[in-house]
Amino acid sequence: MEENSNPVYKDKAYGQHRELSYSYQDGGKFERTVGFHDNTDRIVLQQAWDLFDERIEDARQRVAAGKVSPVVYYMEKNLLDPLNLSMMAGISLWRVKWHFKPAVFDRLKDKTLQKYAKAFNIPVDQLKNKNITKVHEGGTKDNEGKQSIS
Amino acid sequence: METTKTIINYTHRQAGHCESGATSNLFKFNGLEISEPMAFGVGNGLYFSYIPFLKIQFAPMLSFRNLPNTVFKRSTAYMGVDATVIKKIKDPVEAMERLDRNLEKGIPTGCQVGVFQLTFFPPEYRMHYNMHNLVVFGKEGNLYHVSDTVMEFPQVITYDDLLRVRYAKGAFAPQGKMYWINHTIDQPVDLKAAVILGIKKTVHEMIGIPFPLIGVKGLRWLARDIKKWPIKHGNDKASFYLGQILRMAEDFGTGGAGFRYIYGAFLKEAGELFNHHAELLEASDMMGKTANKWREFTYMGARNCKNRSKPEEDYGTLSVKLLEIAADEEKVYQKLKKINF
Repeated sequence: MEENSNPVYKDKAYGQHRELSYSYQDGGKFERTVGFHDNTDRIVLQQAWDLFDERIEDARQRVAAGKVSPVVYYMEKNLLDPLNLSMMAGISLWRVKWHFKPAVFDRLKDKTLQKYAKAFNIPVDQLKNKNITKVHEGGTKDNEGKQSIS
Repeated sequence: METTKTIINYTHRQAGHCESGATSNLFKFNGLEISEPMAFGVGNGLYFSYIPFLKIQFAPMLSFRNLPNTVFKRSTAYMGVDATVIKKIKDPVEAMERLDRNLEKGIPTGCQVGVFQLTFFPPEYRMHYNMHNLVVFGKEGNLYHVSDTVMEFPQVITYDDLLRVRYAKGAFAPQGKMYWINHTIDQPVDLKAAVILGIKKTVHEMIGIPFPLIGVKGLRWLARDIKKWPIKHGNDKASFYLGQILRMAEDFGTGGAGFRYIYGAFLKEAGELFNHHAELLEASDMMGKTANKWREFTYMGARNCKNRSKPEEDYGTLSVKLLEIAADEEKVYQKLKKINF
C-alpha cells in the first residue's frame, strides 16, 4: 500500500481509503488511477470540518450554560439544520424551534423525546443529559449507544 | 438465529461515480461488457444545476449529477434492456423482504441510500447526501454483502444499518428505492443507437433547457454569484461557500470535474465505436481539456481557502475562470449538437 503522506486532516481516521479518479493527458488519453486524495481536496474538506466542529463545540457550551436545549447540540452534531431535523424527526419546523428552549425541552413528553432520539440515533437518556463530554477534535463519528429502529 | 448464506458471484469494480459504476457492474453481471464511462454517457450522468436558495449543510446547493436513478433508468431504456425500478416502498420491513427474495433468486439489486449513516463510508465524507447508490449481492445471517463503487473492496453491513440508510430522511429521500436487471442479456444490444440518444439528451439538458439555473446557464449564474459573495456575506462565509463548491466539484464520487473526465472518456469510446469518428474524438479532447480546467479551478479555489490574501481579487479571478469553463463546455455541446451520425 502506498504511503499516505503529508496528512492535512486533524483526525487520524480521515483520509484512509483509496479511491479511483480519472485524469486526462493531452493527446487523447484518459487514465484511471487508484490512490489517496491529494492535498487540495484535503484542505477543502478539513476547512468544512473545522467549521462544523466549531459549531458543535459552540452548541455544547451553550447547552452546558443552560441557554439552549440538548436538541441543538445533537442537531449540530448530526450536521443538520432545523428544517432537516424537522423532516427527520417528523416534527413540524416551528415545534422543533420551540423545543430549543431548555424550559420547554424539560417538560417534553416521552413520545416526542423518542422521536428526537430516533432521529439522532441515540438512547433517550443520552438526549436528556445536559453535561455533554467533549468529543475529540475533528471527529463526530462515535457510534456509542446505537439503537435499532426496526 | 439460523444463518442462511446466499452470496451471488458478483464482481466488484471500483468506479468514479457511484451510480454509473453500479450500472456498469450490473450490466457486466448480466453478460454485457459496458464500461463505466459508457454507462455514464448513455445514461446522461452529466449535468449541472445551481440552486442558491436551497441550502445543503449551510451552503447553496449545487449538483454536478443528474437526479438519482437517471443513469440506470436511461441506460437500460436506451439499450433496450429489461430492467425493473421500484421507486418507493412504504414499509421498510417489506422493502428488506423484497431485497431478500431478490437475493434468493440470484439477482444482485441496486439500492439508493443516504450517506450519513452508512457505517463503512469514509468518515470525512459524512454528509446528508441521499443520492448514493450501492449494490447488494449477498446475505449471510444478519449481514449483507454490498458493493459500493466508491470503496476499493466489497463491504458488509448489518440488517439494521442497511434499513436505516435505505430510509434516510431529508431532501431526495431514498424511500427504499431499488432496481435490478431482470434477466441475462443474450440478444445483441444496439449500442450505437443508445449512444446517439444519450448524447442528444445530454446536449439538450446542458444547453437546451430554457431555465437559467440549469446547465451552462447555471454555470454562468454561479460565476456571477461568486464575485458577489465576499461583499454580500463577508469573507468567512464566502470562503465556506467556495469550499462547498470545491467539495462538490472534487470529492463526492470524484465530483464535477471528475464527471467531465468520465464524459470525455465516454466520447472517446463513442468515437471509436463509430469507426474513429473524427468529430467525436475532437469533442472528447475538448472535454478532457475542460476537465483539466476544472481541476485548475479547484486548485485556485483551495489556495484561496487556505490563505485568504486578497479576497475580492481572488473571487474575481475564480469567476473569470468559471466563465471560461462555461464557454468551453458550451462549445463542446454545440459541436455535439451539430454532429450527424
